[in-house]
Amino acid sequence: MSAEAVPREDGPGWYLYGVVAADAAVDGKDDLLLVLEGDVAGVTSRVSLDEFDASVLPERLGDAAWLEEKIRMHEQVLEAVLESASVVPCRFCTVYRTEEELRRFLAERGGDLSAALSRVAGRVELGVKAFVDRERFTTGGAVRNDTIRELAEHASKVEGGRAYLEMRRLEQLVTEELIRFKEEVAGNLHARLTAAADDGVQLNLQRPEVTGREEEMLFNGSYLVADRARFEQEVGELAAEYRDSGVELELTGPWPPYNFVPAELGVP
Amino acid sequence: MSSRDLEGYRSGQPAQLADVLERVLDKGIVIAGDIQIHLLDIELLTVKIRLLIASADKAREMGIDWWQNDPFLSGQNGRKSLDDRLRALEEKAGLPTSEDE
Repeated sequence: MSAEAVPREDGPGWYLYGVVAADAAVDGKDDLLLVLEGDVAGVTSRVSLDEFDASVLPERLGDAAWLEEKIRMHEQVLEAVLESASVVPCRFCTVYRTEEELRRFLAERGGDLSAALSRVAGRVELGVKAFVDRERFTTGGAVRNDTIRELAEHASKVEGGRAYLEMRRLEQLVTEELIRFKEEVAGNLHARLTAAADDGVQLNLQRPEVTGREEEMLFNGSYLVADRARFEQEVGELAAEYRDSGVELELTGPWPPYNFVPAELGVP
Repeated sequence: MSSRDLEGYRSGQPAQLADVLERVLDKGIVIAGDIQIHLLDIELLTVKIRLLIASADKAREMGIDWWQNDPFLSGQNGRKSLDDRLRALEEKAGLPTSEDE
């Protein structure tokens, strides 16, 4: 273990990023502290309670720069740990007032933490998002609605008010067809990807302003994966199958397994 | 990553903030008990971030980096209107509304 043994004088709080096995080889950054307790170790750093105390937190949350910095830091610390050890990630802002309280948690919940660790050992979380380009969908092979095809062809030839009405009707039909298509594709993607992984969850879809893409998100899933080559091959095959329908897949990660650890620990 | 490109899907890009947020804020273990920041605060935080994301389009239209400069997140006025929107959402969802801080 290369993390420091002696606490730095940053402050009295203990920020807990996640938990690793006590014998894990963590190539921690300089200011990380491993707190060993039984079979597990907490990955921590000292933080000032001036920053993280519940009384000042609401104000801090109003500071976008602070928030993004801390959230990214949380993620980067865990990603660095993940490179050399399996980790059970904690949620943002898990802060203990004292080392004693932190150690008590690790000791009392050591069994649950070890169980959570063994579930994710040797595995990573990979995200898969799918986007559909409406224009390419309309002209692509997925549109099995003949009326849409005919309207699309006809609408490009007529002019004036009739063209407007036909375009409106076309838009409406495409929208209905797209809703049906998205449901079908999302279900199929999730089933196939889950089969190539240990486990999988579907996440909320993100709005275009958030994704920064013009195409609509039709699927957002995350998977616990042991065999990355097999999983990535499946993603590639799915991408090839749906490309003609205007669908594009995006793979993210590896992530710490946020979606595959118990939601709550420490509740008696 | 050209070898990945051949697979026909995008990957290997820097993590988008939205992808980080939906994990770091919504997932991972939550510890109750002797902890400084309580679950309630974190859920409140999540709601606020969602509001923030929902307001992103306006900032984008204005041609600014919505995350760095979002009016909802800078200054007291932004704070107030964020609270108002939060309360409106809670009422709509039938939840008990949050107190003024």
